[in-house]
Amino acid sequence: MIDISLTVNGGRHELSVSPETTLLGLLRNQLGLTGAKLGCDVGDCGACTVIIDGRSVNACLMLAAQADGCSVLTIEGLATREQLHPIQQAFEVHASLQCGFCGPGIILSAKALLDGNPDPSRQDVREGLSGNLCRCTGYAKMIEAVLQAACVMRGETEDVDGKSKAGS
Amino acid sequence: MNSKSIVDEKLHAAVADSTTGLPLLVRSEMLPAVFPVDLLVPDARQQTPAVGQRVIRTDARQHGLGQTPYIDDMVIPGMLYARIKRAGVASARILGIDTREAEAMPGVMAVITGRDIPVNSFGPSLQDQPVLATERVFHAGDGVAAVAAVSEQIAAEALAKIRVEYERLPAVFDPLEALKDDAPKVHPPAGNIYARKVICRGSVEQGFADSKHVFEQQYRTQMVEHVPIEPHAAIALWDANGRVTVYSSLGRITLGRADLARTLRMPINRIRLVGTFVGGNFGGKNEITQEPVLALLARKTGRPVKGVYTRTEEFTASTTRHPFIMDYKTGVDSNGRILARKVRLVLDGGAYCSWSETTLGKAAILSTGPYKIEHVHVEAMAVYTNKTMTGAMRGFGAPQVCFAYESQMDEIASTLDIDPLEIRMRNAFVNGSISPTGQVLHSVVVRESLLNAARRMNWPEVDS
Repeated sequence: MIDISLTVNGGRHELSVSPETTLLGLLRNQLGLTGAKLGCDVGDCGACTVIIDGRSVNACLMLAAQADGCSVLTIEGLATREQLHPIQQAFEVHASLQCGFCGPGIILSAKALLDGNPDPSRQDVREGLSGNLCRCTGYAKMIEAVLQAACVMRGETEDVDGKSKAGS
Repeated sequence: MNSKSIVDEKLHAAVADSTTGLPLLVRSEMLPAVFPVDLLVPDARQQTPAVGQRVIRTDARQHGLGQTPYIDDMVIPGMLYARIKRAGVASARILGIDTREAEAMPGVMAVITGRDIPVNSFGPSLQDQPVLATERVFHAGDGVAAVAAVSEQIAAEALAKIRVEYERLPAVFDPLEALKDDAPKVHPPAGNIYARKVICRGSVEQGFADSKHVFEQQYRTQMVEHVPIEPHAAIALWDANGRVTVYSSLGRITLGRADLARTLRMPINRIRLVGTFVGGNFGGKNEITQEPVLALLARKTGRPVKGVYTRTEEFTASTTRHPFIMDYKTGVDSNGRILARKVRLVLDGGAYCSWSETTLGKAAILSTGPYKIEHVHVEAMAVYTNKTMTGAMRGFGAPQVCFAYESQMDEIASTLDIDPLEIRMRNAFVNGSISPTGQVLHSVVVRESLLNAARRMNWPEVDS
């Protein structure tokens, strides 16, 4: 077993993991964070996407031990109790998710994209989501939602109080 | 108006601008991350405007928060994990299955084979599919044994320790080869054609004789897997009174319950099948797969058992879309008007019937296209091959024939130098047209739809 410590959604965890445990297995089975999904187990579908130190990662391809010392954001850590993240809100308004299985991964890929590029073009969004598969073929509404969320996050539809609307 | 509602109106206004421009009347407050969502629920007998309103999907909130509970997110105390050993050979006689080494592994709680299944056959129209293959393997994705263990890893390791002795048998993979008299029979002694449909109207011979031009072409489509992002998954558990509960992402739970009653040889009222959230179906979760196996493993161990297909199993051991081989012969007059069409469809059914009969029927009825044709002859057949079974998938055969008849329309148009839109306008169904099976059609808007589409794509030949 390997002792690791990592931060998940702002909370510190000291854990013991077997060498073959993936980060996805750690999140789902040891921490009970089932938002990240096992879709293909080979890094093709992106349903397991989480954000590690600001970068989107396929959690099925990363060993838990490799996340030692890292900060992990999962879909469970995106909204606050008071407010959805603008991406989550835009996905809801645009009905971007159908079966929803790919949703957590796609929303986190979108977050990683917008954190690095606040004003993406439609093509930038397509590329940002290119690692995530949706078999209900809902891409068009997702792209609309991400562009809309970017608009909110840039403050172009800012709260009259001048406070940022974003949940993070 | 408080500040929060202003923000939301701005958000919604921007959404409206970027898409349809429709006003958004769903909510006016901010969206806290709570569930259930506050929905617009009309009072009884209250007339509410529906058309032109944007609505929020009731499941959208949980989806976005990652809180939707799919099967693989569910854990029941004491739960075991099942895996199924796949044959890996397309056609073989099973001489023996040795499970002793697997059963002796620490962490392995139970192993079963096809012989443990009370009624080892199922299927929506023909019951030609075994739950686990016993004497004969019909395609490489057939399950031959199943393991329940305390972890998925141990279950997977145990599969490698199950020894199966096969006598390889001749196999057939091409449906046209399978039609031949001397082809290996997939389900002997039955022949390889397991479903057939013929539609006849008028006289195609007369129609071809009257035609100025006759076009003949073969079209083929490929096998397609649904690839739901959520693989097939189920959990089975028993209560102390001998009733089984199965949680499954199955689409047709009533049929699934009947299939469980048959395969487990149990009264249906002792079976509870709970349809859960489905992470994509598309027709691929229309019949039972591993559910009886999980139920039997759960009974044998006295513990809940979960099974989740691997991505490989999704491709090799779940249904797919039928590949079609389609021969089209079409006679037209000098104006490109279709006088006669003869169609022969060969559906590659794979190893089992599944939803082939539905697919065959739809494909045959739709195979001549939305066109007025006096003389029609359609012959369609579904054929066994030693491949992954084919079944339901969006459209049930309609997309395959659409590819063929529309391709041929383009070829006819091109050869006769007629605009592709014009040739369709000349032949399209109108109100009162009769379908190949004799149905008089009403509310037909094929031409209007074509013209609308053509205008939107600035098709040059449209008079606007």
